[in-house]
Amino acid sequence: MSEFLHFTEHRLQELALAFMALVYIVRVAWFLRFKAGSERQAPTGRGAGVSRKSILYSWANVAMPWAMESTRRQPFLYVQFVIFHLGVAAAIALSFIIPYSPGLLDRPVAVRLLQVIIGAAAVTGVLRIIRRVGDPYMRAISSPDDYFSLVLLTVWFSFALLSVPNQATRGEFHLLAYFLLTGFFLVYVPFSKISHYLYYPFTRYYLGKTLGRRGVYPLRRGAGQRLTKATTP
Amino acid sequence: MKEARARSQRAEVVIERLGQKLSRQIVGSMVACVHCGLCTQSCHYVLANPGDPTFAPAYKADRIRKLFKRHYDWTGRVLPWWVKAGTVWTDEELEELKDIVFGKCTNCRRCTVNCPMGVDLATFNRMARGLLVSVGVMPEGVAVVSKDQWEIGNQMGVLKEDYLDTLAWMEEEVREELNDPGFRIPIDEPDCDVIYAVNPREVKYDPRTIADAARIFHLAGEKWTMPSEGWDQTNFGLFSGDDALGGSVARRLYEKAIELRAKKLVISECGHGYRSTRCEGPNWAKFDVPFEMESSIITMLGYIRQGRIRVDRTRNAKSMTYHDSCNLARSCGMTEEPRELLGLVCTDFREMHPNRAENFCCTGGGGAMSMSEYTPLRLKSGVVKADQLRATGAQVVVTSCHNCVDGLSDLIRHYQLGMEVTQLVNLVANAAIVPERVLVPVAAPAPPPEVPIPALPLAGKVLVVADDEPDQVEFLATVFEDHGARVYRAASGDEALVLAQREKPDLLTLDLHMPGRDVGEVFELLRRDPELATLKICVITGRPELRRLIYERGVRPPDGYLDKPVDQDRLLLNVRKILEVAHNG
Repeated sequence: MSEFLHFTEHRLQELALAFMALVYIVRVAWFLRFKAGSERQAPTGRGAGVSRKSILYSWANVAMPWAMESTRRQPFLYVQFVIFHLGVAAAIALSFIIPYSPGLLDRPVAVRLLQVIIGAAAVTGVLRIIRRVGDPYMRAISSPDDYFSLVLLTVWFSFALLSVPNQATRGEFHLLAYFLLTGFFLVYVPFSKISHYLYYPFTRYYLGKTLGRRGVYPLRRGAGQRLTKATTP
Repeated sequence: MKEARARSQRAEVVIERLGQKLSRQIVGSMVACVHCGLCTQSCHYVLANPGDPTFAPAYKADRIRKLFKRHYDWTGRVLPWWVKAGTVWTDEELEELKDIVFGKCTNCRRCTVNCPMGVDLATFNRMARGLLVSVGVMPEGVAVVSKDQWEIGNQMGVLKEDYLDTLAWMEEEVREELNDPGFRIPIDEPDCDVIYAVNPREVKYDPRTIADAARIFHLAGEKWTMPSEGWDQTNFGLFSGDDALGGSVARRLYEKAIELRAKKLVISECGHGYRSTRCEGPNWAKFDVPFEMESSIITMLGYIRQGRIRVDRTRNAKSMTYHDSCNLARSCGMTEEPRELLGLVCTDFREMHPNRAENFCCTGGGGAMSMSEYTPLRLKSGVVKADQLRATGAQVVVTSCHNCVDGLSDLIRHYQLGMEVTQLVNLVANAAIVPERVLVPVAAPAPPPEVPIPALPLAGKVLVVADDEPDQVEFLATVFEDHGARVYRAASGDEALVLAQREKPDLLTLDLHMPGRDVGEVFELLRRDPELATLKICVITGRPELRRLIYERGVRPPDGYLDKPVDQDRLLLNVRKILEVAHNG
């Protein structure tokens, strides 16, 4: 292993992680500076603890594709979401496994599992790029940050896929690219849309609290729902 | 260099006040959107306007979000183009923003419940409305209604004497229907179990709903009252985004209920009124409400469950479906109670799909009915709702919201669905069984002076019916003639003018859309003619957006107003009220 690769696997990641943590702390402090709106209305029905239950429901919403029409009607997009985020988790885990616990990759099953997940995520990334560029609705709402983040993550998945076996016998380029990109992401993420996971607990908490207090959450659905198709008069 | 550009004063104020409006919930919704596009298909504007991405909720949200990013968020301040941050410089740009937040979104919250990130677009769209209103940028209808609610205390400018007069009239009607001299609509009675607040639309255009509610309270043996002031449970602050107005209106209700020491405030069927009074009002007014508040849906359901009123569901035998008001379903969680009540008072209920919190907006929400400049877009976007209604095959659509009544009525007319719209209170009152009264002889009070009652309620009255639809003219004229009136028919504004000047009628019914001379001009000429000073005018129109033709004239407004299609009972009820002709049984 070259010194440079060693640097990117260790010192660079540690510095970038520290930077990201620092920026996140500042960011959360900034966010919490805004006062939370008050809730004076009497809770609706269903007794005490309804807020706690609805907050949990709200947080778990992401794992309940049946709960929202938008995910029920677009299951392919939901599957893409799941694969993409599993890929992110796997690629992040890989950035810790290679420098700190490379022995885990001695087992072929672990390598294959990571490769399947990350490879599927890379394919999903390509599909998402195609959708973002090809769908006029997506184009209309996309910013340069949206395109850049998506393309970069997809490229990152590709290098992560190549790096899973952790072998540098035929050159270090793929490992270097993977760790340099990881370092870059750690610095870039707090300033980009990728940091949405930082806000998810907050937005979902407040929405769950409010809608729970009003008896909206958990959402109730009628039996046998179907959708009508919009037509012209 | 760009920053050196002069910004209009209004734009400056909007940006400054945006900073003051930012709560943690709103900031969360500003920063959390990942532009995943999942919300796109949840919006009825998108579904009804395919191919136009400017209707997408995320796109609309970004018109507001860009201001936040540019002025209050770090990446947007440093690299605005990277995250599509932007600002506003001119009043024209504020007008464009107005058309988005008022004209392209009804704040129905359907995108909110479909957003995986929990972004509450409806809440920050309302905030943006409030910012624009604070600098005087708003649809004219919003300005007019807000002014009435600030100054007169209710959003339709109903004067206190008219309100009390309507209650007295309804009291008389129900007393005669029940043949019960003990029936009353109590006003300002202290220490009651229930104080009942209504929508001014009920007073002005649909007093039958007040009569029906009064009938139900009476049959249930409720100790109830209506307030003489602070009776408007609607709240335009919800639509305009003006928290100060919202708080002021809500406070009037709360303080009146406290003054009368009422135990419970019952809110008549109204989606936004219920949400404003029960949920948002205490926050806007910063008021800890010391009494219980509930929707009349719950009250009526309670009466039936407790056996306080008995109902015969076979009296409502038409096929019915239920339209969930956005405010009730997506902001107040009231989805099951109306269905349970419907199940008790009608025989043929058919579910609409999708329903409950996934139902589509009637397109009249968010104050849209008062914004006539957006009516064509509203009606076009209503195709989604129209398809939903049509698919049920029901004859009647029931809803618990007055905005929805108007919005749905408009769509039913526009898409020729041939359905009726009604509310639960009407169905419950119709199904309620009036117990046989046991007559006990008591000392008779002094007989009132003999007043000759005409054999027919409109006997001796002269009416002019002006409408360019022959069927409508015949319908109106026949109803009036059957009830004793002498009727002249006019097919244009000019004819109406000539007939009015020649025959000096007691009342003229006026359609707002007729060939020939502009009806607004006809209306003004009639009002300015000293010989027609006592002429009563009732507008009967299928195009409510044309109301501005007469309300902008600076003359006395019409004495009555009815939306088409109008049925015989409602027509007679309103015409008798305008002419102050008593019910003759």
